Amino acid sequence: MKRAKVASLAVIISVLVWILAGCSSMPAPQGGKLIYGLTLAPSGIDPHVNASSELGIPLTSVYDTLVWQDLDGEFVPGLAESWEVSDDGLTYTFHLRRNVRFHDGTPFNAQAVKFNLDRVVDPQTKSQKAVFMLGPYDHAEVVDDYTIKVYLQEPSAPLLDSLSQVYLGMASPAAVEKWGLDYQMHQVGTGPFMFKEYIPKDHLTLVRNPDYNWAPTIFGHQGPAYLEEIEFRFFVEPATRSLALESGEAHVMGEIPPQDAQRLSQDPDFQLIPVALPGTPLMLFVNTARPPTDDLKVRQALIYATDREAIVAAIFKNLSPVAYGPLTAVTLGYDENVVGLYDHDPELAKDLLQQAGWVDANGDGVLEKDGQPLRVEAYLMSWGFMPEVAQLLQAQFKAVGVEMQSQVVAYPAALEAAREGKHNLIPFSLSSSDPDILRTFFHSEGGFNWAKVRDPRLDELLEEGARTLDLEKRKALYAEAQRIIMAEALIIPIRDYVNLNAAQGQVKGLRYDLRGWFPWLYDVYLAGGRSD
Amino acid sequence: MITSIPVLWSVTTLVFLMVHLLPGDPAELMLAESGGSSRSIAQLRHQLGLDAPLYVQYGRFLANALRGDLGRSIFTNRPVTRTILEQLPHTVQLAVAAMMVAVTIGTALGIAAALNRNTWVDNLCVTIAVAGASMPIFWSGLLLILLFSSRLRWLPATGQGALKHLVMPAIVLGLASSGSIARLVRSSMLEVLGQEYITAARSKGLSEYMVVCRHALKNALIPVVTVMGLQFGYLLGGTVVTETVFSRQGLGWLVVDAILWKDFPIVQGTVLWLAAIYTLVNLLVDISYAIIDPRIHYD
Repeated sequence: MKRAKVASLAVIISVLVWILAGCSSMPAPQGGKLIYGLTLAPSGIDPHVNASSELGIPLTSVYDTLVWQDLDGEFVPGLAESWEVSDDGLTYTFHLRRNVRFHDGTPFNAQAVKFNLDRVVDPQTKSQKAVFMLGPYDHAEVVDDYTIKVYLQEPSAPLLDSLSQVYLGMASPAAVEKWGLDYQMHQVGTGPFMFKEYIPKDHLTLVRNPDYNWAPTIFGHQGPAYLEEIEFRFFVEPATRSLALESGEAHVMGEIPPQDAQRLSQDPDFQLIPVALPGTPLMLFVNTARPPTDDLKVRQALIYATDREAIVAAIFKNLSPVAYGPLTAVTLGYDENVVGLYDHDPELAKDLLQQAGWVDANGDGVLEKDGQPLRVEAYLMSWGFMPEVAQLLQAQFKAVGVEMQSQVVAYPAALEAAREGKHNLIPFSLSSSDPDILRTFFHSEGGFNWAKVRDPRLDELLEEGARTLDLEKRKALYAEAQRIIMAEALIIPIRDYVNLNAAQGQVKGLRYDLRGWFPWLYDVYLAGGRSD
Repeated sequence: MITSIPVLWSVTTLVFLMVHLLPGDPAELMLAESGGSSRSIAQLRHQLGLDAPLYVQYGRFLANALRGDLGRSIFTNRPVTRTILEQLPHTVQLAVAAMMVAVTIGTALGIAAALNRNTWVDNLCVTIAVAGASMPIFWSGLLLILLFSSRLRWLPATGQGALKHLVMPAIVLGLASSGSIARLVRSSMLEVLGQEYITAARSKGLSEYMVVCRHALKNALIPVVTVMGLQFGYLLGGTVVTETVFSRQGLGWLVVDAILWKDFPIVQGTVLWLAAIYTLVNLLVDISYAIIDPRIHYD
C-alpha cells in the first residue's frame, strides 16, 4: 500500500516536471527552416566589396559589427564592449569583447579588426561602398589583443553609423586569406548564422551558429538563434512575390507591391510589416542648369502643380507618406519645417509661371514665351513605379499649362543622361540612416548632383554636417540645408519610402533594423514548431 | 583551325567596341547604390582601370586574353574564366538537350513529310516546321509557361536542377531549330528516295522500314549533320533568350546581366568562349562527315 503511494507520487512528480520543462521552452520553439524571399539577385555579395542593399539582408545575420544601433538610433556595444572618441574627433579607441570566435574557429581580436579595416581600404579590394563609408579613415593601431585605435584624417560624424552596418562587418582574416578572390562564396563572420551555400540567382543558405553567445542587447534573447536554417530565394518579378507567399513558397517576402500589400494586410493568415526607410524620399531632381527649369519660378510652379496626395493614394495606396523635403521623416536630422511648404496649389503655380513670362498666346493649353512652348523633359527608370508617377505628373502639369515629355530608359543610360544634364526632371532616391546622404545629391561635387546646384553655402553646410559630432549642432546645419534645398526648389518630393514586407502568420519575432532593409533574424521563430 | 583565329579576334574586337559604346559607366552604377562624391566615382573608375583611353584598355584586354587571362568581373571581382566555367555546364546541358529535341522532332517530321509527299500529312508537317522556326523563343516560352506551369501545374516555370526544369526550355529552344532540320530532312530524303540504289533495295524485296531506315536515312542525314553544326550556333544564341525567360543560370543569363550592368570583362569573355565553342563545333562537324560518309577524306 505504502509502496504504491510512493510510486504514484513519483509518477505525478515526474509528469509535473515534464510539463514544466515543456512550458519553459514554449515561447520560442527551437528549430525549423525559414524561407526568405529576396527581390533582386545581387551581382556580388561580399559586403566589403559590393554595394547592394540586398546582400545585407542575409549577411547581417552572418557578420557582427563593432557597434550596433538600436531602433532609437542609439549605439550599443557589439563586438566592441565600449569605445571612446578623442576630443578632436580623430581617434576612436575600441575595447573588444573577449572569447568571440569566427565560424571557422579562429579567435576575434584587435588584429582581426585591423585586418578588416585595411582590407576595405586596400585598392585591390575595389570596394564599392564600404571604403566610402569609412570615409576619412587613416589607419588602425593594435594596442593589445583586445584594444584597437582607429585614426581618422578628419572628424567623421557618420562613422559609428557606418561601423554598425554589415558593409563594415568583421570577417575572419584566415578565411579571407584562404579563399582569396573566391571569398564571397565562403564567407565567415562571427554572427548567429553561418554561411553555408550561395548559388547565384537561385538560393543562399545560412545555418545556425551553435556557439553564438555574444548577442548585443538590442536582441530579445541570448545564446544560439532559434531557427536552424534560413534559405534565401530570389523573387525578382514583383508580381510573383505575394503569390509565392500565399502558395507557401516563402515565409517572408520583401518589397511587396502596394496593391498586393493592401490585400495581404486584410488576410488573417498573413502579417504586413511596413518599415519606413530613412534616407531620401522618391524625388525628382529639377535641373537648374537647363531651360526652362533654370528659372526658380518655373521650378516652384512645378512643385505647386504636383498633387502628391493624389499620387500617393492612386499608386502607393496610401501605404507610404507624402514627402515634403529631401529627407524622409524617419531620418536623423529631418527638419519638420518642410511640411506644408509647397501644398498643392495649381492657381499659385499658374501665377508664378505668368510672373516668369509664360502665357498661352495661341490657346493650345500649353504656355509659351518668345514663341517657345513650356516643355520639360523627364528621363525615367523603369522600376519603382516611376513611369506610373510620371503619367500622373504629366496630367497635373498639363493642368497648369506645362507640357512634360518623358522617356523610360535603361538604368545606365538614365545615369548618363542625368550626369550630362540632358534632363529637366529625373527621379532617384537612396536609403541611408545618416543625413550625410544629402552631400551625394546637393553638394556641388556630389556624385549625383542632378539638380546641377552650385551653392557655396549649401556646400559649406553639408561639409560641416559631416564633420560635426555634436548632435544638436549637426541637426541645425542639416535643417538649414533642407530649407535651402526647398527654397531653391531643387527637387519635387513625392513620397517617403516604406518597405512593405509581409510574412506568414506563423513567423514570430521578426523585426527590421533602423535602416529598414535588414531583418534581425536571430530572434525569429516559427510558431507551431518545426516547419520544413 | 588556323582560320578560326581571325574569326575569334574580330568577334572579340567588335564586342569590345560595342559594349564600350553603350551608354553608362560601371563606377557610377556601383556608387548609385549608396551615394558618394564625384571624386569617389573617379577613384573607383581609376581602380577599375576604366579611366584609361579605349585603345589602352583594348590592348590590355588583348594582351591578357592571349595569355589566357580574361580578367576579373568588375562587379564581383572574381576571375572571368572561373565565372564562365561555373555557368558553362548549364548552357551546354540546355543546348545539348535542345539539340536532341530538334533532331528528334525535325527528323521525324521530315521523314513523315517525305514519305507522304503532297498529302495532308506532308502539308501538316511542313506547317509545323515553319511555325516552329518562326515563333520567337520568348513568345513560345511564355505560352508554355502559361499552359504547363500556371494552368496545369505540371512543370516548374523557373529554376533548375532536376530534369523537370529542363523539359520546357529544351522544347522551346529545340522547337525553334527543328523547323529547318525538318525541311532539310524532307528534301534530302526525297532526293535519296529517287536514287537507283533505293529502287534496287526495293526490288530485292526489302521491307519499306529497312529501305527507309537502313538505306535512305543514312545518306539523307549527311546534310543534316552540316545543319546541326550551324544550328548549334543558333542554339547557343537562343540560350540567351531561353535562360532569361525561364530564369535559368547559364552563359546567356550571365551575359545579359553583364550587359545591363556594363560588366565589360564578363561580356567580352563570354562572347569569346561562345565564339570558340561555335568554331570548335563546326570543326567537329567537318570531321564527322568523314565518319558518316567514307567517300569524304581530309588530307
